[in-house]
Amino acid sequence: MPALAVNALVRRAQAGDEAAFEALYREHAGRVFALCLRLSGDRTRATELTQDVFVRCWEQLGSFRGESAFGSWLYRLAVNLVWSTNRGDRRREARVLPVEDPGAHEARRETSPPGLRLDLARAIATLPHGAREVFVLYDVEGFRHEEIARMTGIAVGTSKAQLFRARRLLRERLER
Amino acid sequence: MDHERDHDLDPELHEAVGRLPQSVDPPEDLWPGIRDRIRSGGARRGRRAVFVRWLPLAAAAVLVVAVAGWLGGGARGTSAAWEVQRVAGVPRVGDAPLGTMGTIRVGQWLETDDSSRAVIAVGAIGHVEVRPGTRVRLLRAHPTDHRLALKYGSIYAQVDAPPRLFFVETPAGTAVDLGCAYTLDVDSLGTGVLRVTAGYVEFSWSGRRSIVPLGAAAQIRPEGPGIPTVEDAPEALRRALLEFDFAGGVAPAARAALAAARAEDALSLWHLLQRVEPPLRPAVYDRLASLVPPPPGVARDAALQLDGGTLERYWERIRRIAWRREILRGVREIDPRTGLGK
Repeated sequence: MPALAVNALVRRAQAGDEAAFEALYREHAGRVFALCLRLSGDRTRATELTQDVFVRCWEQLGSFRGESAFGSWLYRLAVNLVWSTNRGDRRREARVLPVEDPGAHEARRETSPPGLRLDLARAIATLPHGAREVFVLYDVEGFRHEEIARMTGIAVGTSKAQLFRARRLLRERLER
Repeated sequence: MDHERDHDLDPELHEAVGRLPQSVDPPEDLWPGIRDRIRSGGARRGRRAVFVRWLPLAAAAVLVVAVAGWLGGGARGTSAAWEVQRVAGVPRVGDAPLGTMGTIRVGQWLETDDSSRAVIAVGAIGHVEVRPGTRVRLLRAHPTDHRLALKYGSIYAQVDAPPRLFFVETPAGTAVDLGCAYTLDVDSLGTGVLRVTAGYVEFSWSGRRSIVPLGAAAQIRPEGPGIPTVEDAPEALRRALLEFDFAGGVAPAARAALAAARAEDALSLWHLLQRVEPPLRPAVYDRLASLVPPPPGVARDAALQLDGGTLERYWERIRRIAWRREILRGVREIDPRTGLGK
């Protein structure tokens, strides 16, 4: 869809036009869902997150001032929402796991069916949370470490370390 | 793809990444669900705050107008509009620029740009300074429910009324006035800070509740309010509580908080007691009790069970000490364990 058409839809949606917002949803749902799927590693969760992203988008449309492309603004909003939701989920999970075993949760997520040759999409889904999120944002979505740090609140060094780890794990899993 | 991007990414993996589809269709049409949620409401908000100085005269003027209206009009407090005064720049109410004085009706937005400010009279019970770069909406103007939505930006609120008559909804929860003055900064995604300068404010979201007294502040994140800290809390305590509340550190962070806390930080430990998992509660309670001895009627076992009356009694002591410490600051030195003068 041409940028001018998108901008017109955004302006109409900002004025409360639901049909215009539905058109924006149709235009961007696939990319947002792909992002949520890769960041969460779970299809059901990605479905919920995609809904949340568009509801949040509707609520915050008034603050979109056209300083960037609508799609870029929307994806950043999606990254922020998914990141903060994942952190909340992890926090809740951490509270029901033994507090002296911080690696337990990660180990559980890293387990994949033995002998199964995974394609990349599935291999990404088996990565530990932090490594998966940074890999998706950096290598798939094209964000830079500084942008990831700004959006998510982690340090640039942490982002680089997680990326290194993700690539190593993916390499190992794809070579199985 | 820049040099850094190519580094460490072997060609095969790079190629596989390039083959990933940019778009993946959701398993079902999500629009009906989104539409229903949009229609059901759920006012939530967004953007960055700019801090500027408060102009008391403007607030006083708005209050005079509001009180005059209340006294003269009788039913003014129940009307669905509040008085607004322009303080600087050109704030906008709805689509129109605000003159020297105006009104904001239920459902309308008030927006300030980077150089404008306004003061809203909260019915007849107080006022709100709307600082630059802020967007607020009047949600309800009723004598028992004065309610604003802060979408983003910064406000200073001062209310002189019984508790729970004034509410501010933000992207990360709702601030409930318990008879107080406070500054609330929040951005579009729910990150911000609440600072209380008089009385108490309750901030709650998704079952997480913080009570922030005079002289304390609470960080706000999309997950809800953090544990409040007094303004002069040690940096190590602040870091540990942020880690505990928002970064998933949980047990190690709680232990770091206990190690860093002083008697002056009892209000933080009182909140922490209610947020840690049961196995950690004894450690938190014992540390709290060693810093501020519990008042009569507070039993350890009941506190560990988070008994409401017990926690309330302990809080009463903690808040009184904190209050005396704040209002006598610079006048008399207060023992933070007892609240009595040294």
